Amino acid sequence: MPAEEMGKLSNRTRLIFAVSSVVFLAVLAISPFKDFRREWKQYKRSYRRFAQGRPDTKKLVADFRPDIDQIWLPGMNVVDRCTTCHQGITQASLEDKAVPQPFRAHPPILHNVRDWGCTVCHRGQGSATELAEAHESTLAWEQPILPTRFIQSSCGTCHYADLPQTPQLTRGRELLAELNCQGCHRLPGIERPAMLGPDLTNVGTKVSREWIYKWLKEPRTITDKDGNVTVNGYETEEEPRMPKFHLTETELRGLSAYLSLQKAKPFVPYKIDAHVVAAWSKNPELASQGELRFRQMFCSTCHSLAVTRAGETKLIGGDIGPELTKVGSKVNPDWLIAWLRDPQGYMPHTRMPRYGWSDEDLYKVTQYVTTKLTDSDLLTSVPQLGQPTEQEIQLGHRLFLEKGCASCHSIEGLNPQKDFGPDLSALGGKNASELEFGGAKIPHNLVAYIQAKLQNSASVNPAARMPQYNWNQSDLNAVTTALLSMKGPPSTSALQNLVVPRREAAFHATGSFGEVYERYKCYTCHKFNGYGGDLAPDLTYEGSRVQRQWLVDFLKNPQTLRPTLILRMPQFNMSDKDAATLADYITMVLQHPAANPAAVDAKQFTPAMAALGKQLYEVKYQCQSCHTIGGTGGYVGPNLNNAGGWLTPAWIEAWLRNPQALVPDTIEPRRNFTEDEVTALTAYLMTLRQSIKPEKTASAAASHTATDGAGR
Amino acid sequence: MRLRNWMTALLMTLVGFSGCHKHAETAKADPLLAAYDTEADWTDAQRIIPLSYQQAQGKRIFYQDCVWCHADATPAGPSNRSNLTPVPPLLNDGAALNAESDEYMQNIITLGGTAMGKSAMMPPYGRMLSGEEIHSLIAFTRAVAQPPYQPPARAGSQYSTK
Repeated sequence: MPAEEMGKLSNRTRLIFAVSSVVFLAVLAISPFKDFRREWKQYKRSYRRFAQGRPDTKKLVADFRPDIDQIWLPGMNVVDRCTTCHQGITQASLEDKAVPQPFRAHPPILHNVRDWGCTVCHRGQGSATELAEAHESTLAWEQPILPTRFIQSSCGTCHYADLPQTPQLTRGRELLAELNCQGCHRLPGIERPAMLGPDLTNVGTKVSREWIYKWLKEPRTITDKDGNVTVNGYETEEEPRMPKFHLTETELRGLSAYLSLQKAKPFVPYKIDAHVVAAWSKNPELASQGELRFRQMFCSTCHSLAVTRAGETKLIGGDIGPELTKVGSKVNPDWLIAWLRDPQGYMPHTRMPRYGWSDEDLYKVTQYVTTKLTDSDLLTSVPQLGQPTEQEIQLGHRLFLEKGCASCHSIEGLNPQKDFGPDLSALGGKNASELEFGGAKIPHNLVAYIQAKLQNSASVNPAARMPQYNWNQSDLNAVTTALLSMKGPPSTSALQNLVVPRREAAFHATGSFGEVYERYKCYTCHKFNGYGGDLAPDLTYEGSRVQRQWLVDFLKNPQTLRPTLILRMPQFNMSDKDAATLADYITMVLQHPAANPAAVDAKQFTPAMAALGKQLYEVKYQCQSCHTIGGTGGYVGPNLNNAGGWLTPAWIEAWLRNPQALVPDTIEPRRNFTEDEVTALTAYLMTLRQSIKPEKTASAAASHTATDGAGR
Repeated sequence: MRLRNWMTALLMTLVGFSGCHKHAETAKADPLLAAYDTEADWTDAQRIIPLSYQQAQGKRIFYQDCVWCHADATPAGPSNRSNLTPVPPLLNDGAALNAESDEYMQNIITLGGTAMGKSAMMPPYGRMLSGEEIHSLIAFTRAVAQPPYQPPARAGSQYSTK
């Protein structure tokens, strides 16, 4: 190149340079343009426009921030930019449903968004600023937004204790416990009872091989595809405990052979007094007298029977024990007598109380059960099984372990496989890529996986050993919610501090009280200091509530106090000594600190006070809307006919001042009584007395109308 | 000249790409799936009413404290309603309750019947339920009302269902 041409550019070069400069500038301009068009900035602008049209524009505009908003909570691993777009989340005026999303305020909850962030409850990708990335599952983030109908599961990740606000979660946890899921799976917070299914060590002494075969083939409880449950062909609302396993004919023969030989500890037959048998065996009233005793003793509190009324057959009675409509065709009659006299002798962990039987009652009731509660067709569909062969027994033994029977049923000397099913304690936090979907045609996300697995475990894994459950939609969602709440232990120590543990319930009855309490199994229905059942009233503070003499009379002859409730307390035929032991302990120990017996002297009550109290009761406060006195009044609260012979004055006063302080979930509203009014009302209630005398026929009649009502 | 055309085309393409914007579609979700809870219409069990968070809280409180007198069936069986004079309105009785303002409802629940010149049989709940809980109860009432609740034309009913 000649020297004079150095530094001179050809036209062509100039043109290229000019064009590329323009292109370069244009490309540079794209960046601010793209930035301007960002999704979150569009939401920012549309929020401003939206705020202009609101009556409270001033406040909304004052709170407006044009940049990315972030909630950073280092202790909780929260970096949430959700509020960048959800700008009205804390504006109380934007709570209305008419406010378009994403600007609507969060409904009022106990956790402030600024303190807790959003993803702690709703999941999703907190640091994302684009809708799709924040809400949905992406390659880099597999925790999409949780559908609203399962939101209660998030409460359960920290609140291990049950909350009143989360009924769905509580129901799901209850179902996991009731259906014995913890038999095979590890589930945090679901207590594993001492016994899941009946102990089968001696089952051969109780039932025949044919009955076992029939049971395994069609567990008495059958649930159809819509979740409708039938027991022995009768419809009920309770869930089945024994699920249906799909067993082949050979497997049925093997298992029935193996189980029918389980007779490790045969029972000692009990001989009923010959005089009793002689006096009753020819009596045509025998079965009906037995039925009467069956009702009077309130067997139906725990056991149900099919009853046909007005052409409709349904199960009536409790579900603590098994349904008994056809039990006479199931059990060996000698076994039944031995069982009724000493249930724990056959099965140490049973909740069946030990009644004080007379030979006469025992004879009448067992005759009723074995002659009336029968079904001659029960075993007709069972083939002739004959004597078990060695091969069948071997197969049954192997199946008992392989099918997971041993996870719920124990047989002495047989060691079940530990952790039979997968550990589910961190299932709720799993990513979709960690799950095995098999060939199932379902969306690849955690919720769809859990629901598919629950409905038909073989759909996602053909080799699954899980038995068949049938769910109605609300139970399916409840169990899904409970499983989603199990996200494993909190990842950081700061999160650990947020966990609200389930209260450890401890009530260890000791001494002579402990012996009686254990014999009558009081805790099956009643709660003591958080421990026990919830069928009957909580007795944690019963000693403050009731007078000792009333308690003794009640234990000897139970009466119901609330008109809407059905008497369920069994007639235990309790001895005077047992009743005194229970009453002494309860009145001494089960006391509430707020009801101080020394602070109230019943002797100071005057007739004038009582008259004023009556006036307040009937006119000013109209307590009769909920309580009954002398046959008139409402059905909601307890009957007060015998308030003076039943309640302690200290309890009444403390109750009137603040019912929720004594029983946190009571529905009695807390009123604003003056101290004088409290005294007057107490004085009046203490004048109400009515003797309770045994009325056996009345209580028997009541049991006829027993239906499944509320538990308190 | 050819080159300039080529450059312009390139430039337009670049601009075109940058203008592309991902419009995330929000699928119209089934209101029942998005609901926190549901309640079957009291007069037509086939019709399921989706409940918002607030209405769902109200439902919980209603079935705990109010159902005994303001419904004809209760979790325990018989209702106390027929037992009372004057007979309390059913919760879904839109003909009686739609006309009452939110303020009135708030007051009668908080202060009781006596304070509002009604039957003393309606107890005050102001010392048992929080203001928030009472709000949610009213929201639930509005949700199940039959005939349906129409918020007053004047601005500012907090519980409009529309």
